[in-house]
Amino acid sequence: MKLRSICAIAACKLTRQALRLLHRGGTALPGKAALLFDPKILEKVSAGMEIIVVTGTNGKTTTCGMLEGALRDAGRPCLSNKSGANLLSGVTAELTCNTTWSGKPKTRYAVIECDEGALKQVVPLIRPKVIVVTNLFRDQLDRYGEVMHTLEEIRTGVLRSPGSILCLNADDSLTGSLALDVPNPVVRYGFDIPTGEQKDPALSDARYCIRCGAPYSYHYHTYAHLGGFYCPKCGYSRPQADAAVTKILKMNQDGTCCRVRLPEDGWTPGTGQGCADSYEMEITVGLPAVYNLYNAMAAVCACAAFGLSAKESALSLKAVHSSFGRMETFTVGKTSLQMILVKNPAGCTQALEYLASAEKPCRVLLCLNDRTADGHDISWIWDADYEKICKDPGLTEIVVSGDRAEDMQLRLKYAGADTGRIRLIREMKEAVSWIEASRTPVYALPNYTSMLELREAVRERTGASEFWQ
Amino acid sequence: MGMELKICHLYPEVLNLYGDRGNILCMKRRLEARGISCSVTLAGIGDNPDLTQFDLFFIGGGQDFEQEVLLDDLRGGKGDSIRSAVLDGKTFLCICGGYQMMGHYYQTHDGVKCEFLGAVDLHTVGGRKRMIDNYAYVLGEESGGSTVVGFENHSGRTYLGEGVQPLGRVLKGCGNNGEDGTEGVRFRNLFGTYSHGPVLPKNPQFADEIIKTALQYKYDSADLEPLDDSMEMQAHSRVLRHYLHLSESV
Repeated sequence: MKLRSICAIAACKLTRQALRLLHRGGTALPGKAALLFDPKILEKVSAGMEIIVVTGTNGKTTTCGMLEGALRDAGRPCLSNKSGANLLSGVTAELTCNTTWSGKPKTRYAVIECDEGALKQVVPLIRPKVIVVTNLFRDQLDRYGEVMHTLEEIRTGVLRSPGSILCLNADDSLTGSLALDVPNPVVRYGFDIPTGEQKDPALSDARYCIRCGAPYSYHYHTYAHLGGFYCPKCGYSRPQADAAVTKILKMNQDGTCCRVRLPEDGWTPGTGQGCADSYEMEITVGLPAVYNLYNAMAAVCACAAFGLSAKESALSLKAVHSSFGRMETFTVGKTSLQMILVKNPAGCTQALEYLASAEKPCRVLLCLNDRTADGHDISWIWDADYEKICKDPGLTEIVVSGDRAEDMQLRLKYAGADTGRIRLIREMKEAVSWIEASRTPVYALPNYTSMLELREAVRERTGASEFWQ
Repeated sequence: MGMELKICHLYPEVLNLYGDRGNILCMKRRLEARGISCSVTLAGIGDNPDLTQFDLFFIGGGQDFEQEVLLDDLRGGKGDSIRSAVLDGKTFLCICGGYQMMGHYYQTHDGVKCEFLGAVDLHTVGGRKRMIDNYAYVLGEESGGSTVVGFENHSGRTYLGEGVQPLGRVLKGCGNNGEDGTEGVRFRNLFGTYSHGPVLPKNPQFADEIIKTALQYKYDSADLEPLDDSMEMQAHSRVLRHYLHLSESV
């Protein structure tokens, strides 16, 4: 091994140890230190590993958590970047710290969450066996410009790793189009059944056919622009899924019980064989909401493509628990707090739908920051359906918090909330005191950096684990 | 008989990128709070309602991919109706891409020219640098003179023709092109701006100015009773003070 690689590994490990002594996460900085010595260190430290990469707008972290559980249950313990540091530096830190001092990986398997824009830098170096693309929604417009630009970034990434099996959401016309012009073998997951109606087509991120520009028609909708789409003009349509939900049997706060159609063990991914040679079974997913069922199907499909048994992987979903701010629950004082990270209109509307169905009375905390990791443009809150919750008298109090609390407050006013029930508490510590004093359950919907702050403030109060643990 | 404004939301399914439905929601609420009824008609691609029946037009910002689809629809006759409505003095609020579209053309930075409506004497040239941040401008006297805060996100630089009035003067940020200190356009009763956020909810005076313009045109009178705008002004001041370090009395 070259001297610069040895230096890179040493720099990475030492930086992380130093940061942890200071009780800081150290998720990206050690990677930056490593890259300083050896820009291609990632290629060396991942050599010989079998990796699944997950990218897409929503569901990356949860899908990674599900994959990790399934791999562990299959006797293949794996490494993951679960703290959410998903840029080149964060992935580099995670994989470099995983090696021995001589640069040999300590684990053979890894599940890596990767930012959509960073995919093209990361995958050529780590050559994943499977790349999962969860979905594409408008997100952080000021960073990626627009949805189509993000799709191009993902396409570039996939093209740079032609040997990877691509695991796509069959119900998403945007990311589904990746299959049209990459050489990779493709497997797909989705819903064979509707779960909702499309409320306002004007808010769809994909109303027009990506191939010919004609408006899509739908056999059925699941949520946002996902569903059984087809273009009446050019024929581009939802392809068959290899792994699909065929019936929802029971859905509540603790999880979902449903029937799924899965490919037989020993199938050949990318041949369409999964649809022909399949069987149905009943499974339980330990997380609520439709979007988590999508994450579950993504995980099962990716496991099947990875060479594991689809059936075994599906069974491990029962034990799946929330990850880092995504439906994570805490006990604060005498009340329960559930934290649901929201970052864009599609995900936020889904979280609000969940809130609308939650047991009442309850209280709600909405936190909005506009820092770099969040995107400075917060106009997306006007495209999320706060109307779903604002008129419900069961929400006895709504607190707004964060850098842009005033904008959130105004959004609620326009969504029809009784302004007397809204309170502005800027600081997270103070918001946690408010949670602690509550006698009814509290649901918090923070965006990314406000989630980090809120979680930290809750941790200080309750002693929950630090985020890199 | 009570007053009524008929709003036409142009291309809501295509030009809908930056929470612009908040602008429609805002105008509707502020009208209804004054006992003025308000209807909103969506006119998307392929729809051809008689545009002369409407009092107020709204057109938002969108994505490049979808603007192709839209230009075909404009060429199918709707473009002429929109141009006539502007020249007749109907009230328009045009944001970002919708604002650029009112001009003569958009030229990309590698020279490809895209012909637009030409309803207003202005044109836009694509730049490499995105002008993106919170910003503020002060409206011209003819548009009420209040301060507007918003968020701009555009790489196109817009230049107004000789003698064409901007909507306002930039206090902080880039505005039309980052060079001449102008922001947006005010042409007859058309208000064009790069500001989204959406722009109207936290700029209630600007919202009322647009409503008044439409009422004045239709009824020749436009007295609006004041509303409780405390939450609106809190959001307004937060951007002005915390992000732009400006005080209220500019």
